[in-house]
Amino acid sequence: MKLFGRKEKADYIVIIGCGRLGGSLANALSDEGQDVLIIDNNKESFRKLSSSYGGLTLIGDASDIDVLREAQVEKATAVVVVTNNDNSNIMISQMAKEIFKKELVIARLYDPERDYVYREFGIDTISPAILSSNAIRGLLNSHEKEAAV
Amino acid sequence: MKNKALIIGGFHKARSLAASLIKKDYRVTVINSDYQSCLILAETEALSVIHGDGTKPFVLEDANAQDMDIAIALTQRDDDNLVICELCKKKYNIKKTVALVNDPKKTDFFYQMGIDSVVCAVNAITNIIEQQAFLDGIASLIPIGEGRISIAEVPIPGTAPVVGKKIWEIDLPKEVIIGCILRGEGSMIPRGDTRILAGDMLVLISSDKQELTAIKELTGRGGL
Repeated sequence: MKLFGRKEKADYIVIIGCGRLGGSLANALSDEGQDVLIIDNNKESFRKLSSSYGGLTLIGDASDIDVLREAQVEKATAVVVVTNNDNSNIMISQMAKEIFKKELVIARLYDPERDYVYREFGIDTISPAILSSNAIRGLLNSHEKEAAV
Repeated sequence: MKNKALIIGGFHKARSLAASLIKKDYRVTVINSDYQSCLILAETEALSVIHGDGTKPFVLEDANAQDMDIAIALTQRDDDNLVICELCKKKYNIKKTVALVNDPKKTDFFYQMGIDSVVCAVNAITNIIEQQAFLDGIASLIPIGEGRISIAEVPIPGTAPVVGKKIWEIDLPKEVIIGCILRGEGSMIPRGDTRILAGDMLVLISSDKQELTAIKELTGRGGL
């Protein structure tokens, strides 16, 4: 799909949920020259997008199959699901995986305990709690090493 | 040993379902995320109540999900119900899972995800209202297979256009068959050359919601 004719074969990435994470990801990918479409059920959320954002926006409930069809998820190279509700993320990811047969589905998961459901379906998950704790441990370790020197 | 049922979410639905299952000698546990609702639910005799978010594995563990025979997810949100049933099925190996779904378009998807029984409340209610509103000509209509197939009892009044006709002369939708004719005290399985008489009671089996068209064709009314 050629949205803006910038590149011969740009990736088409669908992002679901325009919060802090979804919004900044959409800005960054759009700056890189990728084709991006971002879905959110609240129009106000799109104010987080920068003025240079060159992708598409779609207002709607992404847990509705018709909205996903309208977003042409079947043509997407990747689907990123980052709404603020874990269970919505699980359901939308599974719909992308099972109904639209997407290979690359990435979802954010606040509660790592429910990771179980995701892994079974081959959905890649990002958990802020685990990432943060790893980063903090890294900082602590490097600090200790500095102190030891 | 008593059968054990787990009901997650839903207040009024959970309460009446729990009462009816207890009457049928089930051991019932309900999980509700609202503390006030839990207090009211706890007034029901022989009902175990757990306060918490049923989509969280540790809450399901508190409810001994691994020992359950059936799990029924009745929360307001489709995504919650899906996650509950998937956890129950995959993590706790519950044999039968039932999910309530609001969006009729998701019914097939839920089945695809391995849920044993998907109940679409909106579909069920609109179907009933439709029947009540437009089909006073039907004595009774029984939906089966999630409402995809229905069995209807249709009385044939003397004024019906099909009285005296043979079955092969009637222009019925092809999704509908006349399964049986009740005539007087007896019943008969009709053939193409069976004549329909006034006062017959026809038993229709139909798919794809064609019963309305068929009933209109048979009785000359029943439609809008």
